[in-house]
Amino acid sequence: MPRLTIDGREIEAKAGQTVMEAAREHGIFIPYFCWHPQLSVPGNCRICVVGVDDKGGEWVDIACNMPVSEGMVVHTNSEKVRARRKATMQFITLNHPVDCGICDKAGECTLQDYHYEYNGERSVSVDAKVHATKHHDLSERIVLDNERCIQCTRCVRFTREVSKSNGLGMISRADHSLVRAAEDGSFGRDPYSDNVIDICPVGALLSRSFLHKARVWYLKPTASVCPGCSRGCTVNLWHRRPEWRLKAPGMRTANESIDRVTPLENPAVNGPWICNKGRDLAALLGRARAEVAMLKGRPAELQGAIARARALVASARRPVAVVSSWASNEELAAFKASLGARFATFVKADCQPEPGEVVEDALLIRADKNPNTAGARALFGDAPLAIPPDADLVLVWGEGLDFGLIPPGAAIIHLNAWLAPENGHADVFFPVSIQTERDGHYTNFAGVTSAFAKCFPKAAGVADAAALFPALAGAGGGE
Amino acid sequence: MSRRPHVRKRYWNEPEMGLWEKAYLPEILRGLFITGGVFLRNMAKWMTGRKGALTTYYPEETRPDYAPANRGKHVLTRRPDGSPQCIACNMCATVCPAKVIEIEAGFDPADAAHPKFPVRFEIDYSRCVFCGLCVEACPEDAIRMAKEVPDLPAADRWTMWLGREELLAWQPQSDVAKPYPPAPKAPQGDRP
Repeated sequence: MPRLTIDGREIEAKAGQTVMEAAREHGIFIPYFCWHPQLSVPGNCRICVVGVDDKGGEWVDIACNMPVSEGMVVHTNSEKVRARRKATMQFITLNHPVDCGICDKAGECTLQDYHYEYNGERSVSVDAKVHATKHHDLSERIVLDNERCIQCTRCVRFTREVSKSNGLGMISRADHSLVRAAEDGSFGRDPYSDNVIDICPVGALLSRSFLHKARVWYLKPTASVCPGCSRGCTVNLWHRRPEWRLKAPGMRTANESIDRVTPLENPAVNGPWICNKGRDLAALLGRARAEVAMLKGRPAELQGAIARARALVASARRPVAVVSSWASNEELAAFKASLGARFATFVKADCQPEPGEVVEDALLIRADKNPNTAGARALFGDAPLAIPPDADLVLVWGEGLDFGLIPPGAAIIHLNAWLAPENGHADVFFPVSIQTERDGHYTNFAGVTSAFAKCFPKAAGVADAAALFPALAGAGGGE
Repeated sequence: MSRRPHVRKRYWNEPEMGLWEKAYLPEILRGLFITGGVFLRNMAKWMTGRKGALTTYYPEETRPDYAPANRGKHVLTRRPDGSPQCIACNMCATVCPAKVIEIEAGFDPADAAHPKFPVRFEIDYSRCVFCGLCVEACPEDAIRMAKEVPDLPAADRWTMWLGREELLAWQPQSDVAKPYPPAPKAPQGDRP
């Protein structure tokens, strides 16, 4: 257990740690571009220089690759370190185009922050800046701006060490070196490729779907859980801040849409990564919504539908429920509390893997494409789905059930958030809210429970399942 | 509890009325003659087609003597090729204290020098405070304010939103119209 001093603070590091790791663990900030806690140490950006006291005076070297040793005295902000850091920043920004005005990273850019913190001067170069490819499509999802790239190689190391696709590499040398995708197209097939956008410390790697959509300070993140598979990665859903709501005619739809999805670092579930499917949650959750309750396919008032469903529940002799594995733990508990004793209950898989989708891999993606199968099974057991032929009422919660499995004579109560042809076949249909419209929890395959929060208000005709079930049981008026 | 007797406050400019003023009616009639005279004079001028009162009949008529530095309606400037100078950086929208500027950005990979451009550029004149901070914030001299005021009166608030096309097309005579960006210099000698 080596003890060392950083900026006058005596700390106890673990053996084998680097100065960077020890400092971070004790809340001492050392700037870095190329270093990343989950990636190897290339030591090429040189911004993390620290000074170490020695017999011959202070020497400086990079903290990310400096092992701690007993009695070391480290300075992160000495005269010499500041000068070296500033020189490094000037070197890095020598050819930077400084087009922050049109850069999607501006506002959350490490280079921008460090520039104000450690440099503050314009490029010292008197020569014309080196121009490079301004727009290079690395894949269908990612655009590369080579002028902004500082060649930290985080993205290259990500594809080699984390996603293992080896999809990216550097070509050419020095000023002219460029990040390029491998010619076999493996980067385009990499299911984790979008993580390089987050780990890029500058605005070189940009998401096509978020390109110029909004300046980042107009957006705010809401913690959520990706419903794409049973891993249940924690994510941030970025949507318009209320104070920056758009008001112009025709622009207001942008206020209630997910503009982008980024990982919410969670060592217990997904670490700092998510897969590309999680990035496309806006499309997954933004499908056409069902917003009107229906009685046998005819639009009806919500109260009327509740009354009809309540009558069906009360008169049924053999009711069966097929609950959703997309429902939150709160909704499942509400179902169990109010209707669980009355219904024979099965858990169904709402979603199956899409054609062409990565079904399962060693990193994050799980074969079960539903977020809360574990939570539902914990309450209702894991009996295989088999609707008995003498069932006279079937409550189908969520999508993904083949209505052909339901006995012909049985009445159907159906709850679904999205428009689907089956909705009209049900005797009573309720439109229900989706996870961006309520708070809740999902339990992932390993039993880790993560919370998601409400981002948007729900439409007027849409019911919350947690409030609906007590109403169906006759306990209250519901909504 | 005994009440203090009310004493009327005397002001420094208390009018001293003589007998004639205190008689009330003659002074009232004198006032009526003054206002009535002005009214009849103006009406006679108006009926004979001349301008009477100093009133400006806004919005049919606007004053010609706005100060040259008056902050009126916005102008979106154009590049020599006619495309908007605006790069949709949202600096004006961010700095706007009334939050009336809304920009939808587009991406044009074919134009390497100006890949980001405004698809929509909307200003809500019902809320604009004409402070001119958008002009100050613009890094591209893409938005200016001309001295002429916009045609504010409208039947509803939605018609008070002015969009990209209108702000681009509107080129008032009073705009300084300095050549920006400067015309490209012809290459001199062998080296560019």
